[in-house]
Amino acid sequence: MDFNQRKRELVKEFSPMLEKSSLVSKLWYFVLIAIISVGIYAFYLQFINGHKVTGMRDNVVWGIYIINFIFFVGISYSGAFITGVLHFFNGSWKYSIARIIKIITVLSLIVGPIFILLCIGRLDRLHYLFIYPRIQSPITWDIIAIMTDLIGCFIYLYLTFIPDFAILRDTTDLKVPNWQKNVYRVLAIGYQDTTSQRKRLHKITEIMSVMIIAMAVVAYTVLAWIFSLTLQPGWNSTIFAPYFIIAGLYSGVGVIIITMYLIRTSFKLEKYIRKIHFIGAGIVLLIISLLFGYFTFSEYFSKWFSHKTNDVELLETLFSHYFWEFIFANYIGVLVPIIILFFKKLRTIKSVTFAAVIAVLGLWLNRYLIVIPTLETPYIPIQDTRPEFIFYTASWIEYALSFAGIAAFILMFKLIMKFVPIIPISGIIDQERFEEKRIKNLGEQNK
Amino acid sequence: MKKVLFKYPLITSFIIAFLLSNVCIAQENDVSNYRMGFNLTTVKQPDNSRLLEVSFIATNKKDRKDKIPISNAEIKFFNILNEEEVLLGAVNTSNEGIAQLTLPENQNYLIDDDGTINLTALFEGSNAIDEETAEISIKDLHIELNLTEIDSVKTVSVSAFTINKLGEKIPAEEIEISFYIQAMLSKMKIEEGTINDGSYEFTFPSDIPGDINGNLLVYAMVVDHDEYWNVTQNKNIKWGIFHSHSIKEKNSLWSAIAPLWMYSVLTIMLVGVWANYVYTIINLVKIKKEGDELKLKI
Repeated sequence: MDFNQRKRELVKEFSPMLEKSSLVSKLWYFVLIAIISVGIYAFYLQFINGHKVTGMRDNVVWGIYIINFIFFVGISYSGAFITGVLHFFNGSWKYSIARIIKIITVLSLIVGPIFILLCIGRLDRLHYLFIYPRIQSPITWDIIAIMTDLIGCFIYLYLTFIPDFAILRDTTDLKVPNWQKNVYRVLAIGYQDTTSQRKRLHKITEIMSVMIIAMAVVAYTVLAWIFSLTLQPGWNSTIFAPYFIIAGLYSGVGVIIITMYLIRTSFKLEKYIRKIHFIGAGIVLLIISLLFGYFTFSEYFSKWFSHKTNDVELLETLFSHYFWEFIFANYIGVLVPIIILFFKKLRTIKSVTFAAVIAVLGLWLNRYLIVIPTLETPYIPIQDTRPEFIFYTASWIEYALSFAGIAAFILMFKLIMKFVPIIPISGIIDQERFEEKRIKNLGEQNK
Repeated sequence: MKKVLFKYPLITSFIIAFLLSNVCIAQENDVSNYRMGFNLTTVKQPDNSRLLEVSFIATNKKDRKDKIPISNAEIKFFNILNEEEVLLGAVNTSNEGIAQLTLPENQNYLIDDDGTINLTALFEGSNAIDEETAEISIKDLHIELNLTEIDSVKTVSVSAFTINKLGEKIPAEEIEISFYIQAMLSKMKIEEGTINDGSYEFTFPSDIPGDINGNLLVYAMVVDHDEYWNVTQNKNIKWGIFHSHSIKEKNSLWSAIAPLWMYSVLTIMLVGVWANYVYTIINLVKIKKEGDELKLKI
């Protein structure tokens, strides 16, 4: 097979995604930029007036910003974990989703930490974290872990992009601006797809994929420890680290399924993102939802059974003030995906995506119920203070910034898709090369 | 009116209950149930002024824990000699039932031949409380506190005396005296003894910490003496030893320096990860180099 010809064919197939922007796409850009602009204005108000414009007060010092942070970082770590694991599988199917997951991983890790910055009342003192770090503090570990992980994920994403950059650089009939071609040339770092270059790139990518699996587990464990190493009711739990990892995987797989569905329908990629991907991801989601349900039950059951005063108070708050949220997060958010994904007949592309949406929403609420009710039921009783100081309600500023974060995530995703094909051309070529070699070997054996 | 009262039995019973309760409280607080405590005491202060203090507190006859300070009662202080009576001042009692009058060092007292000063505190009485009076007789004791280093030994000495009509110093005898150091919250006793022949002397302990500059406030006090009542004298001296707590901090979870294993684990992990990043970048440079060489060949 002439692989150079095949490369040109594939570039031609994916070039519309890189060359043109449809009217719908342009409308999407406008809406996303508008949402981000509102978010920037909300941030300006928060920066000028301080945290009084948010719902955060003396007792509930963390709000939906920290929940978004945990949520996005969880998606990122699960993405890193899944993409690392995928690297060790063979088969053409993995190339269709691998890049989507890698992009989700990196973008979540860019957007997530922005939310933690929004939690900080005195941003002007941010550099103190680096000047006076306290190595015993899980917050210091988290900063180190996130920064290291972000760089690692960037490198890993870049490694997988290099062969595609080289293909795009070498394709003369690609109608993209000259600056874009120059960027392809620089980022391709002289990659010519020689055997030695391919081997070298494969070797470092493999090492990086192992490393980011380990880093994802370590970093999300550290994030869980920010909560569980305190003595707060509801947080001081020995299973919090594995619980967070399972929860991160749960939301991560959910977001991957939703993204797969949106890309498949938007770009008519049914040939590459097939039903088998949804069935496979659905089964993974089913296994994780069972594990997540088990961990959730174990967590709350031990709290209820031990009957410690503060834990009981927390559970009473969850079953009274947050009744419906609790039901949605821990019953509907777990049981509905299990029911849909358990029965073979129900496993269609749309139903799997619906289960993923329920799982993601439930998981976000689960994070909310971990953070807010605990802060509302501290050890020392709250006395002589106003109700708005005890109970947390997010303000429009917080919602605006949260939606701005989601919009920024989608916008960056769309921009990356405009820059490189969402289905890796090099992956398809590699797979076809592998198949050709296999057939050749079989032929030689038969002789 | 009667009809109205019978029509609303609940309200009527409330009114009756309210009236009865007021009567009960009034009976409980009746002044006849209390015994009046009216005590006069005096302290000769370090600046040689004299403080006269009356405590005026009523104690329940049945329950001694039930004490009510008599506040805002006018107390008159007199210096009496035979028929002669000099009003020293009048002071109202505080909310705690305390009335204090400070007489300056140069106050002229009526003194009898024995050198005794008779002081009286008088409450003239009110509609509810009877007249109260308290008397004390004191002799004016002078205490001189000296803090000196004798042959590098820190020595505390006091001389105690009275002055007779001729202005002669008469050394005091058999007076119990205590020495204290002013600590953060109260006074700490460092020595006690008896003044004989008008003097007392002891070696100051060498291990008492002072403030950051080594300053100490040393007190010499005669307390509740039959003749002299309370006499206090003090002096500041730089005899304290400032202990700087230079304890070497151990590596622990709660100290400024973390446990060693924490540094080791974190360093190994970070070095491992970053070494891999460096290794990846080196390989990327090699890929680039190979690509450049290939380009030149073409």
